[in-house]
Amino acid sequence: MTADRTLDRQSSERGATRPSFRLQIDHVTKRYGAATVVDDLSFTVEPGRVTGFLGPNGAGKSTTMKILLDLASADQGAATIGGSRYRELADPVRTVGVLIEANAFHPGRSGRSHLRILADAAGIPFDRVESLLELVDIADAADRRVGAYSLGMRQRLGLAGALLGDPPVLVLDEPGNGLDPQGMRELREMLRSRTASGDTVFVSSHLLAEVEHLADDLVVINRGKLVASGPLRDLQQAASLVRTGSPDTLRMALESAGGVVEQRDHNVLVVRGLPIDEIGERAHHAGVALHELSPHSGSLEELFLNWTSGEIRHDSSRSEGEVV
Amino acid sequence: MTWPRLVRAELRKLTSTSMPWVFLGVLVVIGALNGVAVVFGTDMDGSKTFISTAADQQSLVAFAANAMMIAGLFGAIAVARDYGHGTVVPMFLTEPRRYRAVLAQYTAVLVGGGVLGFVGAALSVTAVALSLPATEFGFLVPAGGVAQVMAASMFVGAAGALLGSGIGAVVRGTGGAVAGAVLVLVIAPPLVVQLATEAASWIPNTLNTVVSGVTDEVSVLAALAALAAWAIVPAAIGLVAVQRRDVV
Repeated sequence: MTADRTLDRQSSERGATRPSFRLQIDHVTKRYGAATVVDDLSFTVEPGRVTGFLGPNGAGKSTTMKILLDLASADQGAATIGGSRYRELADPVRTVGVLIEANAFHPGRSGRSHLRILADAAGIPFDRVESLLELVDIADAADRRVGAYSLGMRQRLGLAGALLGDPPVLVLDEPGNGLDPQGMRELREMLRSRTASGDTVFVSSHLLAEVEHLADDLVVINRGKLVASGPLRDLQQAASLVRTGSPDTLRMALESAGGVVEQRDHNVLVVRGLPIDEIGERAHHAGVALHELSPHSGSLEELFLNWTSGEIRHDSSRSEGEVV
Repeated sequence: MTWPRLVRAELRKLTSTSMPWVFLGVLVVIGALNGVAVVFGTDMDGSKTFISTAADQQSLVAFAANAMMIAGLFGAIAVARDYGHGTVVPMFLTEPRRYRAVLAQYTAVLVGGGVLGFVGAALSVTAVALSLPATEFGFLVPAGGVAQVMAASMFVGAAGALLGSGIGAVVRGTGGAVAGAVLVLVIAPPLVVQLATEAASWIPNTLNTVVSGVTDEVSVLAALAALAAWAIVPAAIGLVAVQRRDVV
């Protein structure tokens, strides 16, 4: 992205006066017939941070985003942006930039025409379209039909559309799909530059390694329910590593207390769902000597698989781990 | 001032794909067929009485029935494809009060349908006028008759496009919307007439001939109102459907 430094500069120049918006999902439930797609879901997305939104396919991520954007209605609860429903925003395009349908383009229309339509509707001058085409590196292909674009080029066009109103909030559904490594890095840098100026960035993704590099906070849902939320670093350290000569005795003691115990080696356990202090106390009560008790940082993939297996619910704002 | 901007964006949507050119091509073909019919066509008895009077020629150049069908398909395809491709989503994000976005789209498609109707009638009149010298007859339709045919075709084109838009908004799939438009404009009216003969005066084909000055089964004003109703009812159903359901 040849012009991302320009964007950085623009962001830092406007940072002082730019409004910030907190996104709030408050007890939202959405049903399609008998299926509950989003189930009493609550979390917040803070300004000045990149919040990754994770969940397996069909977990309800896209539906939650659509409810936030008033594209779908919630059966219960409310989703707000800076305390207002999306439909109540005075200038939605200049408040929230959205990439929610990866292929929401007419294949017979050029990329430039697509952006000009959006600019027309929002009352944005066409020179902004030209600068965004440069920013996302598709200016050379701007007059080609979108149907001839690669997935990565479409994704870049979608990002240009999201940035059109230079909004302080970005809601992006799988923005990294189809981007090459350079594009991913540029996306990461661009989002980082925006959060540095206080913008709110809410990104769903199934690319766990990318989220691990990108996100400050995480919200993880499974089958429409919240399974983990909080700062990524805290969540990654939410497990404890225990080394003991009596792993079976300790395992029984910890599991009876609600912990989820994974045996790594014949005398090494990884424990989730219990605070580290409680692990020590349980071991003491069980008369088990510990050779090591330390925080364990797992990879996001490892954590994700644990969270979405349905065994653990974790909210770092409440405790180190909470089993439901 | 959001609404005029939305209309402009919707007009740009319509003119930034090849679809209008395809429909223009259809109009050219129909105009050419009219010219061919004048030159080579005959009645059952081999004569050319079908172009022998001003009334006959006005009936030949009356384009309203074609305009309604063509513009109906135009509206249905334009709107259904907008939903099918997801390009309606940015409009609802720009204007979350969906009825305003839908009305802007209806307006743009209505304008497009009116233009198609007008151009279709102009091509038809031109083709017939240019072909008549190849026969023993001249162009007999008075200026007032030509103006009525053109105006009727433009009005009916706009109404047909609005009708198609409503169907497109309800159905959202291109194939289904086209089928719906054909059902409403071609298949259903004769069936209704079979069930209730008195309805024959109020089906689109009859109304189109009335507003074109070819027949006078009802008054022109009543015909205009009835054609508007044919358009507004499906458009209103589409508007309500879009308001009530999830967008994607």
